[in-house]
Amino acid sequence: MNTSAEINQRGTEYEVLSPWAEADPVPLRGIAPRPADLAGKTIGLFSNRKRAAVLTLGAVERELLEKFPGARTSWYESTTVNTPEMLTEGKAKFEAWVASVDAVVLSVAD
Amino acid sequence: MTDGRSAASNKGMPLVRIVQETVPCECNVKEDADAGIRSAMARIIEALTKPLSAEEQAPKRKERGTPSRIVFKGQLEEFDRFFYKRGWGDGLPLRPPTESAVREMLAGTDLEPAHVVGKIVPRNGKATVEKIAVNAVMAGALPTHMPILIACVEALADPRAHLGAYGTSTGSWMPFWIVNGPVRNDARVNCGSGAMSPGDIANAAIGRTMGLIVKNIGGARKAIEDMGVYGNPGKYSCVAGENEEMSPWEPLHVEQGLARDESAVTLFFPNCYSQIWQYGSDDKGILATLIYNLPPGRSGLTCLLMTPTQAKTLAQKGWTKAMIRKYVYEYGRVPAYRHPSSYDGGGWTGRNPETVPPNAMDSAAIVPSPDHIRVLVLGGPGAFMGLACGGGLPGGQFVTKKISLPSGWTKLVAKYKTLVPAYERY
Repeated sequence: MNTSAEINQRGTEYEVLSPWAEADPVPLRGIAPRPADLAGKTIGLFSNRKRAAVLTLGAVERELLEKFPGARTSWYESTTVNTPEMLTEGKAKFEAWVASVDAVVLSVAD
Repeated sequence: MTDGRSAASNKGMPLVRIVQETVPCECNVKEDADAGIRSAMARIIEALTKPLSAEEQAPKRKERGTPSRIVFKGQLEEFDRFFYKRGWGDGLPLRPPTESAVREMLAGTDLEPAHVVGKIVPRNGKATVEKIAVNAVMAGALPTHMPILIACVEALADPRAHLGAYGTSTGSWMPFWIVNGPVRNDARVNCGSGAMSPGDIANAAIGRTMGLIVKNIGGARKAIEDMGVYGNPGKYSCVAGENEEMSPWEPLHVEQGLARDESAVTLFFPNCYSQIWQYGSDDKGILATLIYNLPPGRSGLTCLLMTPTQAKTLAQKGWTKAMIRKYVYEYGRVPAYRHPSSYDGGGWTGRNPETVPPNAMDSAAIVPSPDHIRVLVLGGPGAFMGLACGGGLPGGQFVTKKISLPSGWTKLVAKYKTLVPAYERY
């Protein structure tokens, strides 16, 4: 430990270690290609089970259906409130749902 | 916005398209949600349809170079400001983690400095023994605190503690560290009067170290990843030992499955800690204090704090910890209309509908089960009781980790045993 004398002595220089931890780099992924137009497309609405999710996604749904003729929506509710869906028992269902939609809106709803 | 960007980056998708809207947080008013989404709709549609840039298709990692182990050389005040400006501090002065100071801190463990005790979310930073020691030195901890700190890190890394949620939540949850077993006395963790006040190195520095670890190893920085609305002074330190010597019951770590002669730390995340004047000094008055002061808006892990005197009064009347847990679960109730689960203005979609009685005037239990409750005996003389109320995430538990002591522990304890305040009378 630094002794009191060491700390109080004017002019003492300290060579200090970093407290910031290393982390393994996470493989980076691009985002999914976008449809040029949402008309006639199936748009996924992902709810993370937070209080505002259904309300905000409902508002998104109404706006999208009004603006894009023939567009459809498909809802998905996460298995838990705070775990990435791919790490839950809902993984297979989630992957099938993602494959069935053309675009996704997720409401953080916090 | 910043927390969303940081969360996406941590998952390897730094360029997820995020649209910020003006809907109030956790909104349950349809008109507000509609207005907020309407004003953001053009940007939402653009995010859904605008062709991807080359970087969005294949994001590139920012090269940061190999991080230096030695990060600064200079005088005390310069060091303090250097760390503060990099966001590595907590606002209070830090002790310089020099090579020699860290080496001495490492006397508190037999583990190798490079040993990874756990990875701490959200950044999944590697909590090596050396990084734990560096942050411990900064916080003013002693080598006798290292075994406790290592167990604390193991608890943080345990998914049942839900650090990923509580450490960054708008709810400003604070880690409450409860120390049990012989290590309390060796490390001088206060279990008596004012245990949760400042003034004891162990209670202050263990919690402070863990706060720095959450930030510097876990990467939960205020208003970037840690989105606590009000914040919480308990994030500086909330550490107490159980007053086992004066308790009539088995200590917490024994309830959690360890042997009495073992040492352990238990973690859970309350976001409040309140003290209530006891209704009476008899068993009925003590229990009434608890059941009538549970806040119905919590419904999660709950720790009942009582003094040795209150515990002895209950024990003399035949109450055990298990009986108290069951009693408080059973009778800590509110009319259903006061319970958040039955609030018809929105409600938590994650809450269990089976807990909502059919009639709003029927009563509903505040805490989901007796297993969500623990009884902790601590503190000094006085007529107050304590309630530390935590969150109710599914699967969340009081997480207990055994503390392993290093070789040469007795000698290490002896080295610091005289480091106690000697208050002069005035």
